[in-house]
Amino acid sequence: MKQGYQLIKEQLFFRKELVERAYWLINLRWVVTGAALVAGWIGHFLDLKHPIVSLTILFLFVALNNAAFSLIWRRLSAREHPEVRHYAIFAHVQITFDLLVLFCVIYLTGGISSPLLIFVIFHIILAGILLAPASCFIYAGLILLGTAGLIVLQESSILPPQPVLFQSLLFPSTQSLPNVLALYLTFASAILLTAFLVTTLKSSLRAKSRSLLAVSKELDASNTKLTALYEMIKEIELCNEFQDLIDSATRNAARIMGVKGCSIKLLDDQRKRLTFASTHGLSEDYKAKGVIDIDKSPINLKILKGSFFTIGKIQKDDYFQYPEDVRKEGIASMMCLPLRVEKMIFGVFCVYSDIEHFFGPDDVKFFSLMADLTAIAIENLKRELNKIWFLKKAAHQLRSPIGAVQSMLDLILKGYQGDVDDHQRETLTRCRKRLAVLGDVINDLLKLGLKRISTDEREYHPVDVIEILKSLEDLYRPRASENGVDMTFRVDDPLPRIMADEKMIDDLFANLVSNAIKYTPSGGTVAVTLCAETANRIRFEVADTGIGIPESEIPRLFSEFFRAENAKVFSEEGTGLGLVIVKEVVDRLKGTISVESREGEGTRFVCLLPGAKDLGMRPRTTPDER
Amino acid sequence: MGADILIIDDDRDLVNTIRIILESRDYGVRAAHNGEEGYAAITEKIPDLIILDVMMSTDTDGFDLAYKLKNSPHHRDIPILMLSSFPQKMAEKGPESFQHILGEGWPVTEFHEKPIDPDELLDAVEDILRDEGRT
Repeated sequence: MKQGYQLIKEQLFFRKELVERAYWLINLRWVVTGAALVAGWIGHFLDLKHPIVSLTILFLFVALNNAAFSLIWRRLSAREHPEVRHYAIFAHVQITFDLLVLFCVIYLTGGISSPLLIFVIFHIILAGILLAPASCFIYAGLILLGTAGLIVLQESSILPPQPVLFQSLLFPSTQSLPNVLALYLTFASAILLTAFLVTTLKSSLRAKSRSLLAVSKELDASNTKLTALYEMIKEIELCNEFQDLIDSATRNAARIMGVKGCSIKLLDDQRKRLTFASTHGLSEDYKAKGVIDIDKSPINLKILKGSFFTIGKIQKDDYFQYPEDVRKEGIASMMCLPLRVEKMIFGVFCVYSDIEHFFGPDDVKFFSLMADLTAIAIENLKRELNKIWFLKKAAHQLRSPIGAVQSMLDLILKGYQGDVDDHQRETLTRCRKRLAVLGDVINDLLKLGLKRISTDEREYHPVDVIEILKSLEDLYRPRASENGVDMTFRVDDPLPRIMADEKMIDDLFANLVSNAIKYTPSGGTVAVTLCAETANRIRFEVADTGIGIPESEIPRLFSEFFRAENAKVFSEEGTGLGLVIVKEVVDRLKGTISVESREGEGTRFVCLLPGAKDLGMRPRTTPDER
Repeated sequence: MGADILIIDDDRDLVNTIRIILESRDYGVRAAHNGEEGYAAITEKIPDLIILDVMMSTDTDGFDLAYKLKNSPHHRDIPILMLSSFPQKMAEKGPESFQHILGEGWPVTEFHEKPIDPDELLDAVEDILRDEGRT
């Protein structure tokens, strides 16, 4: 896209006028010559006394010339990079030619007394608009010279007088010499005044367009900067590692501000020290200075109290904790701002230039916008990472004792601590099972929690769903036959791939398949189908002849911790989270899930998932494409 | 007395459980409760096998110790059986990423999830010791 100021430059620049008017002038000449010729002949038939033959020859000569001009224009405009200079010369040639012709016509229609004399004004205006001011005055001079020459030649009878067509208002034909002189001076001042007005107006327009150009240039520059800032924020918002985020921030800040280096320093928990967390364009030595004691660094102290700091020329030693290093690094000027969210300041964002007095007031404004947005991004990521950390930690803390108790129960159950009678074994086995369910609940909660927190779609890639179902088949077939359930798998091949990650698809398939097995009594069937619904949509269907879901409970099927009444009776195991995870995955993948069920007859889950569009159908014999 | 096995885990109940399981096969069992104690026990006497937990005093205490041992010429040959209550399937990026735990560059010989099945543990221990020629 062209920048705004360039468009304005093209539109406003007077040279464009010159180029465009070249052709316009040629067309105008055709019209004027044609009209003059017709008017001449009409006059002739109305018995006017003008020399029609000479005029006709003159107009035909003009037409011939105009054809030549037209050819020249075509050659000029056919050039790939037409030079403005050529158009200017072309305009000069045309205006001079017109002027000569006009003087001929004036002479033939009665000399200075011809009413056509007034037409010279148009040439002044045309030259004033299209050409430089000096040219306009030169043409004015030429017109005055031409008129004076005509007067002299006519008065001295060197040129044979022509019949006056109509009495001109400017120079009536019967005048004494002093009168002619006075009239000529009036005429001259009118011509010069016209030239003056046209050129002055044009200069002022030019000046205005120049300042408009400057303003639009500034606007474009700030637009470019803001766009770059937007891109930067978009990029850092996508980071899901802390270091990636701040590295991206310093790298982008240095690029957008057009400086040699940038750094982010973060405050420690005691708010006593600043440490370089990320730098760009600074040497390892500089970075290795590492910790800055803020009590020894008045600059940083000031920034951490909330004000910005710029220094145009680094020379005074007392500003810095490590002044030699600043000089050695080639830093000539710098600008630093606090990183803060609301009133909480947690770091310092600096840019360094090798040019003195590099940063102006506009830069401070812009950089503080950048610092604020960066700070918000940092804070958001910190919060998200904290949540993930908390979830993982909580899950670990909950699971550890369960694992320990399960291990100890196994120790007893397997007879490592002496014999166990049947009653004891039964109770201990029930304990073991209930603990296993508790472990599953924790796993499912963690899965769900992590899924809801991290929305990282960047890590999605085309996933081969067939491969995943195949491995689940191996896992669930033994379990089905253990329960006396007949299991069938129908898989179409090839199928479109899905933009996801394997774990999501695995969760989705595994939950639906294991539910079907779990809630189908011995002797029943579970049918799993994976096929293409349309060219770019896959259908995953699990139908069982199990206990079914009571109609009244279907609407609550996908809500947390919900288990249908008949499901609780049929099986103690179940977290009430499996279908929530299924729904979460389907929503993430922008698919749909529907359920049909009749209590006591069976259930059918149908899940439709959009394929990875640009990949379309692919045979799964090339699993390593990604 | 069988091979010398060092258990490093901060969960004392689990340490006891493993101890009972291992002692049923006459292995010599020593125990430590964090990476530091574990390392001290290793330098005192090099064990034939280490059973190592992942998350102890820090989230990566177990891995830190495992890497430390792999980088030490005296200790890099000690087999390590790693235990974690973080299911392998759920492993995310980061230090607790166990997906490639048995791949190249990983400092452990084998990886087991908690809870511990006594029979499986004994089989695993036996296999490792046999492969390493320590029985």
